[in-house]
Amino acid sequence: MNTLETSLEQRLVAAAPKGVPDEIEAEAAALSPSVWAQYRRGWLSGISLLGLLALWWGLSHSGIVPPLFLPSPEAVLAKLITVSTQGFMDATLWQHLAASLQRIVLALAGAVLLGIPLGVLMGVSPVARGLLDPLIEAYRPVPPLAYLPLIVIWFGIGELSKVLLIFLAVLAPVIIATSHGVAQVSRNRLRAAQTLGASRSQLLWFVILPEALPEILTGIRIGLGTGWSTLVAAELVAATRGLGFMVQSAAQFLVTDVVILGIAVIAVIAFALELGLRLLQRRLAPWHGQLD
Amino acid sequence: MSSLSANQVTVRYPGQTRPALAGVSLDIGPDDLTVALGPSGCGKTTLLNLFAGFVKPDSGTISFAGQPVTGPGAERAVVFQHDALLPWLNVRDNVAFGLRLQGVAKAERLARADEVLRLVDLPEAGGRYSWQLSGGQRQRVGIARALASHSQVLLMDEPFGALDAFTREQMQELLLKVWQQARRRIFLITHDIEEALFLATELVLMSPGPGRIVETLRPGFSQRYRAGESARAIKSDPAFIALREQLLATLFDHRRKPEEELA
Repeated sequence: MNTLETSLEQRLVAAAPKGVPDEIEAEAAALSPSVWAQYRRGWLSGISLLGLLALWWGLSHSGIVPPLFLPSPEAVLAKLITVSTQGFMDATLWQHLAASLQRIVLALAGAVLLGIPLGVLMGVSPVARGLLDPLIEAYRPVPPLAYLPLIVIWFGIGELSKVLLIFLAVLAPVIIATSHGVAQVSRNRLRAAQTLGASRSQLLWFVILPEALPEILTGIRIGLGTGWSTLVAAELVAATRGLGFMVQSAAQFLVTDVVILGIAVIAVIAFALELGLRLLQRRLAPWHGQLD
Repeated sequence: MSSLSANQVTVRYPGQTRPALAGVSLDIGPDDLTVALGPSGCGKTTLLNLFAGFVKPDSGTISFAGQPVTGPGAERAVVFQHDALLPWLNVRDNVAFGLRLQGVAKAERLARADEVLRLVDLPEAGGRYSWQLSGGQRQRVGIARALASHSQVLLMDEPFGALDAFTREQMQELLLKVWQQARRRIFLITHDIEEALFLATELVLMSPGPGRIVETLRPGFSQRYRAGESARAIKSDPAFIALREQLLATLFDHRRKPEEELA
């Protein structure tokens, strides 16, 4: 694989002679400003984050806002150390974090294991699509927290309810993205594989699933986003551990630094999940957006 | 004699008054490079899809080596105009894909892929990906893939239609070389008259409304190329140009007729 710089160079060189396909020239033209633009955007993002931090520091130290409402950045940082070593509400930060992550991982695994096969089925079979589509479209637009009370009535306030809630939040985008990806598989690729002797199951494993993979990963990314926000909200309602629970109980005792700390951790995890999946997508499907 | 044949084939697509193909018969022998030439709507793609097994005839039969063709099969490989390589596999794995489907061991199929890649003048490209290749290179990989799996027929669906003029000329010469060395019969469809004349051992001229074969000829220019004459010399030969104009006139003639019938 080329590194970014050498491939850029090659493309610029390749753009010169006659007979080079137009798309390569167009790519070279589009690529050079975009590298620069990314670089600049990185700087601008850094500046605005630093600005926010400075504003926070200034406000908390000026005495205008009492620490009860806005503790200083140092206080929150100090709290990070005490909460991660001594804990808050009978559990350390890591235990709260682990509880939340465990729920989302279980829910995600379930949603992927069920959602991908269902999505494939809907993508290849009009009958399956006809049967399943209304069910998914009926529950998908409803905010998960709206049916949480029903889940609590049916399954109690234990782990199962929370995992089930997140599972449902992740499931719909995974199914929809998978079926969309599968339905969009290039007819020429399917036919080419058929004339090379592919059986139906070989078509599925060697053509349909790899081609739908970028879409499936996008579905998982969207699902994880909703799942994470749902999880934190669900932990506000009924939990003894978890980031949402930590923030909620800290708020009840007006421990504002723990509240801010919790929110920051939730944000960092959400960002890491998004970034991780984007990296995975680029790694597993480098052709995505490159061709046809 | 194992030939690929269409026998009195008619195909109708739902919702269309005229058949896409009406009573078409064609035989492709083991040493043929048969080219179907015609404007869009003449049924040449339908004919190729019949041979490939993607489309079933409403009447008539398609057979290969005496057996009726009932669906796609590994002995009849197709080279598409675009969009047919697998972007998640590198060039070598793409070429070896058919052998992998047949369960050929990895070392053996990769060796075969390298061999075929040399044949299409892409010996260095094995580790690259289709989206890193130019249009002409992609088509060469497509041809290599069709050759690698020991198919007996290459069905080529306007393989050079999306390429620029320079690359197209190179690919035509490459195809003649491959055809000669790989000893594979080829059925190629195109709407490019020069391409058809240059490549074909047998040229079938097709016309729309309904799609049918209006003329069959053996131009013989590819034999001259194989005998060592240069492609440009052949294409600028007065005999070549005269035949080209004659074909063009025939095509326009047949194109007018159905309109007159309607009027």
